[in-house]
Amino acid sequence: MRGFFLYLSLGMLAVLLRTSVFPLFFTPGFCPDLLLVLVIYLGLSENMLRAVLLTLLLGGMQDSFSGTSLGLYVFVCLTILLLVRLLSEHLNVESPPLLILLIAGGTVTQNLLLAVCLTMFADVGPVVQVLLPALPQQMLANLLASFLILSFVLKIQHLFGNRAGLAGLVYQSKRHGT
Amino acid sequence: MRDLIRRYRNLLLAVALLLSVLLLYSYNLRQKASTTFFERAVLTLAAPFQASIDGASDAVFGWWQHYLWLVNAEQRNVELVQENLQLRKSLQQVEEFRLQNERLRELLAFVDDIDRPALPAQVIGEDVSSWARTITIDKGTRAGLRTGLPVVAADGVVGRIIKSSPNSSRVLLVTDASSAIAALVQRTRTRGVARGRGAELSLDFALRDADIEPNDLLVTSGMGGVFPKGLPLGQIGQVERDEFGLFQRVKVAPAVDFSHLEEVLVVVGEDR
Repeated sequence: MRGFFLYLSLGMLAVLLRTSVFPLFFTPGFCPDLLLVLVIYLGLSENMLRAVLLTLLLGGMQDSFSGTSLGLYVFVCLTILLLVRLLSEHLNVESPPLLILLIAGGTVTQNLLLAVCLTMFADVGPVVQVLLPALPQQMLANLLASFLILSFVLKIQHLFGNRAGLAGLVYQSKRHGT
Repeated sequence: MRDLIRRYRNLLLAVALLLSVLLLYSYNLRQKASTTFFERAVLTLAAPFQASIDGASDAVFGWWQHYLWLVNAEQRNVELVQENLQLRKSLQQVEEFRLQNERLRELLAFVDDIDRPALPAQVIGEDVSSWARTITIDKGTRAGLRTGLPVVAADGVVGRIIKSSPNSSRVLLVTDASSAIAALVQRTRTRGVARGRGAELSLDFALRDADIEPNDLLVTSGMGGVFPKGLPLGQIGQVERDEFGLFQRVKVAPAVDFSHLEEVLVVVGEDR
């Protein structure tokens, strides 16, 4: 339960950073989407029920601060989580470069799903023209942020213990016996 | 059949979950004017943190600017004294124009004047995504705000409130792709719809033969019932007319610089 609230607090922190701190330093396109990183990490580390519940709440949190309707980011985050879980069965998820690659894939998928949902359901005409030019900047920002977070976490782990991989991926390790 | 369901149980559950979320989104799309309990709770919870971060960053920037970063202070001081003199001169002229304007208004009984009570609010947050253009302000239902109210700045229209909680509200900017405002070109009174395009606006449904030139001022027409008539929306940029087609393609630079938006006014009352 403590872990559950920790993830929620991390989600709220990501939202606060994105809405109030990053805009002071970066243009909207270059603000990293830390919630996406969190959802992908959830997909790799937590058991299914907990990951789904947390993703629903994190998506709702993102919806509360973005766009006009609740449900868009809930759907997008949930789809990304399920895709990550599907992929994680076939990948060595403890490899840091692979995590970075997943973030890149997640960014593209997120933008694709947003474009499809907004065009099909909300009939927001020129949203593709807004999303497409911002994609390279968003990708760069997300990759850089996830690389920095990963390097920091691995360094901290190294200082406090002798574990080689990324902590938190216990669920996957248990499943695959690594 | 039971074996089939058991075999694909996880897949069926995932599809059912995704479909229910899509239904939720589709339902909420029709309830744009309402703020859900979840959204209200999240906004209420985040508002004090956002206000604190905003205050702290202001303090840090102020401290940095006033006490540490004084490299060009003397040069800047000289420039400001010069600028101050010029501004004083301009102010005298403006005062003359104001008095003249008042006299002319009385004479012409100018009824298009926008004179409504407005509530100042501070911008405490921006949109969490890179594609949507919304901001969060530090006033909510407790200050008498509600969804749909127009928000303006000194330079022109900012947007309208789409979500409100007791202490904060979210404003959909005019540059958001889902924003559409009835507008007219001030010089020729050509009508159209100003639609958001991320960083700029476009004027849709302006007839091909309509007289629109670059640098014309685009203002609200007051037709939608949300924005008062005559508020600046932006300046016409590029105008393209195809050989065929009913409408022309018009790009508009927004009147408000959204990257430096700190204070806004929420128009709360009806026309006096």
